[in-house]
Amino acid sequence: MNYVVRKGTLFLITLWGAITLNFLLPRLMPGSPVDAALARLASSGVPITNAERQAVEIQLGSPHASLLSQYGDYLSGIVHLNFGSSYSFPSETVAQTIGKAAPWTLGLVGVTTIVAFIIGTLLGVYAGWRRGKTADTTVTLGATFLAAFPPFWLGLLLLYVLAFKLSLFPIKGGYNPGETPNLSPSFLADAVYHSILPALTLAITTLSGWVFGMRNNMINTLGEDYVTFAEANGLRTRTIALLYAARNAILPNVTAFGLSLGAVVGGSVLVEGVFSYPGLGNLLYIAVSNHDFPLMQALFLVITVSMLVAIFVVDLLYVRLDPRVRQA
Amino acid sequence: MRRVSPVRSTMLWAAAAFCLVALSACGNNSSNGSSGGGTLTIQGDAGNPTLVENFNPFQGSALHGFNLIYEPLEIPSPIDGSYTPFLATGYKFSDPKTLVYTIRQGVKWSDGKDFTPADVVFTFNLLKKYPALDSKGVWQQISGVSASGNDVTVNFSAPNVPFASSIAQTTIVPQHLWSSMSDPVKDPNTKPVGTGPFMLDQFAPTQYSLKKNTNYWQADKIAPSEVVFPAQASNQSTNQLDVVSGKFDWSYNFLPDVKTTYVSRDPAHNQYWFPAGGTIGLYLNLTKRPYSDVNFRKGISMALDRTTIATKAVNGYLDQASMSGLILPNLKKWLDPSLPNQGLVKQDTAGAQAAFAQAGYTTQGGKLMSNGKQATMSIVMPGNFSDWVAAAKEVVNQLGAVGIAATLDLPQYAQYSSAIQGGTFDAAIGGFGGSGDPYTDFDVALASSFATPVNTPTANNFERFKDPAVDQALATLASSTDQSAQQQATYTLEQAMYNKVPIVLMYYGGSWGLFSTKRFTGWPSASNPYTLPTSYNNSLLTVVTHITKA
Repeated sequence: MNYVVRKGTLFLITLWGAITLNFLLPRLMPGSPVDAALARLASSGVPITNAERQAVEIQLGSPHASLLSQYGDYLSGIVHLNFGSSYSFPSETVAQTIGKAAPWTLGLVGVTTIVAFIIGTLLGVYAGWRRGKTADTTVTLGATFLAAFPPFWLGLLLLYVLAFKLSLFPIKGGYNPGETPNLSPSFLADAVYHSILPALTLAITTLSGWVFGMRNNMINTLGEDYVTFAEANGLRTRTIALLYAARNAILPNVTAFGLSLGAVVGGSVLVEGVFSYPGLGNLLYIAVSNHDFPLMQALFLVITVSMLVAIFVVDLLYVRLDPRVRQA
Repeated sequence: MRRVSPVRSTMLWAAAAFCLVALSACGNNSSNGSSGGGTLTIQGDAGNPTLVENFNPFQGSALHGFNLIYEPLEIPSPIDGSYTPFLATGYKFSDPKTLVYTIRQGVKWSDGKDFTPADVVFTFNLLKKYPALDSKGVWQQISGVSASGNDVTVNFSAPNVPFASSIAQTTIVPQHLWSSMSDPVKDPNTKPVGTGPFMLDQFAPTQYSLKKNTNYWQADKIAPSEVVFPAQASNQSTNQLDVVSGKFDWSYNFLPDVKTTYVSRDPAHNQYWFPAGGTIGLYLNLTKRPYSDVNFRKGISMALDRTTIATKAVNGYLDQASMSGLILPNLKKWLDPSLPNQGLVKQDTAGAQAAFAQAGYTTQGGKLMSNGKQATMSIVMPGNFSDWVAAAKEVVNQLGAVGIAATLDLPQYAQYSSAIQGGTFDAAIGGFGGSGDPYTDFDVALASSFATPVNTPTANNFERFKDPAVDQALATLASSTDQSAQQQATYTLEQAMYNKVPIVLMYYGGSWGLFSTKRFTGWPSASNPYTLPTSYNNSLLTVVTHITKA
């Protein structure tokens, strides 16, 4: 219990630090939202005049208040889950904008992360168990090869070959243009169809991390005395591999899995960008390039909080998985 | 000032001829406008990755389609400034401070209510009440708007004849709906009611479509029955793949080697037109030595081989720019005949060295030196404007050849913009002109009223040029309605640009129109340049009223 309280306090302090940093960082970036809005206009060929600048300043109501009073407003906004309205999407609240993008990222990156973790870990167990054999070499070599692809590059390659040249998959987006997201079976099928290429890209490039981690842990664990003891007792191979070796070897992978689940919320900026996927990663990119403080802050907040929560949950989970932690 | 645009009358003849040939189609269209025609697909707004519904024409984030839902009074061609009338049938300056528009009769809003001159007056007063909506700064120039009969009179606070172009392009909105809107600054206007040829049909986050307004006052000139705007992808290469795979009837994209990448994919239908949309120049900071010396600037101008720069920057799609400051041939009727070679400056190294010598710089050991120091120049531009960067790299090479140590500074747009606005740069790449009207082009670039002290931001005249003769010529242009006086004043401005080199104009920036004639023909082209192929502004309305079914 003491352990839980300690972890909980640490969680709250870290949370406050993260929230405050989150407030400061965007304001340290050079340039202002007005400049960014004018840059967008300028790049679409609109001549920028003083009048245009004044109009944009009034429209955005860009911050002139002191930092301290902005910080106060910001904290009370967080408590009430009110993040204001974003500069890039003036007709929506930030919460609405994020709410629209979140399901896409949670679906795509979340499912892909879980699938990659399960497959990667199982492959790692197998390769570790058959260490030095052909199976191990094949898996390790294959994983090394796949790990060498940068995700966005693999994405562009798949996009060009499978979507453009062979027209097997749609070239962009999360669903057919002209559709409005809903829960009908036909729409869901369409959404899954659109998610195959980005999911494939993410799965292929993240798989190898799990394989390597698990294989190396397995090999370490397999050298332990209790494994030799179990073998000497004549236990079944599968029992030794899964219950004796893998159960202990998986601990570092669980930590990493918790962290990557926390990171899911941030989306995958590059892969979502390549496939023009309507998720949080893309939104983050827009927020940063438009100096959209309210949207940026809310997104970073969501990312940090989910990361911290994931770490907290992993910490608690360890109490179940690893009895040694309980005594600490 | 011309009353009926030649473009418009040509169009009427074309429409008449078309009706004779395709009698049945046109007959059907006028009685039952929504039949036939077909769908026109235009590459739409940047999705990022999805669109937000916004048809408030006064907001920067409005979707481009609003240009087909609402209409302005008139649209000046961005090429030669000639007017096409829409909600006004014509205009007249009764004196340089009083502009009178004759409002078109028999026009209806798409909800069936009559459009009246009161709507025009209401729209301008709306901009006065909400300065956030007044992005063209109309109320900094005018003092009042009033209606009488079919006329709407705009009173200027000071003579500004060329500003008529901004007045004419103001989007007119219906009083009966907008007067009860609680906050027009924030309202996304998701149920737009306009006088234009199309009405909003469906909006979805990645695509919106407009259907034909059968009550449109010139519905017989509208060929498509539906216009679809699919959102652009956040990934530019995906957009290019979409373009080359033929998804659009009209798109706006720079494509390298366009004949191979686009035209050859469907040679019978795919066309491109890349006209000059503006001029790209090297802005020199006139508050700093040695750039403040006109001889030094002339030396730089002569040291550059502009054709090579244009080849590097825009694939040679466009050529070197005239130092007259006019986009040629679009504005050739304004060109001063006394300028040598139409204002085109060819590379002349010997001439450049002579000019540098007059500025006190001589070449020593391959370096251009004065008082023991080499001439240097740091050129700033946004790092992601790849065509500008390519041009600037070539400029650095060519200046290096005459002994100037030039370097590139490639920050984000925000830093670039604060450097040029604050006047803290040595040299900067920037755009010039492109409004179709010489006064506007020269005024924003050369008027001394914009030349604020260094560190006080200005939105125009970044080089901080000041010349009483130029200000005088601009004032004449602003107040004159007399053709020959306008002509003479423009000549003075061209000579100032040519002889005093406030900006080293280099090459024409392109306007990247890609068209398919599979479903519709009559797109703007070199042989019929009625507007620029920009699919994101009121050229949409001009083009849609020109195209015919293929």
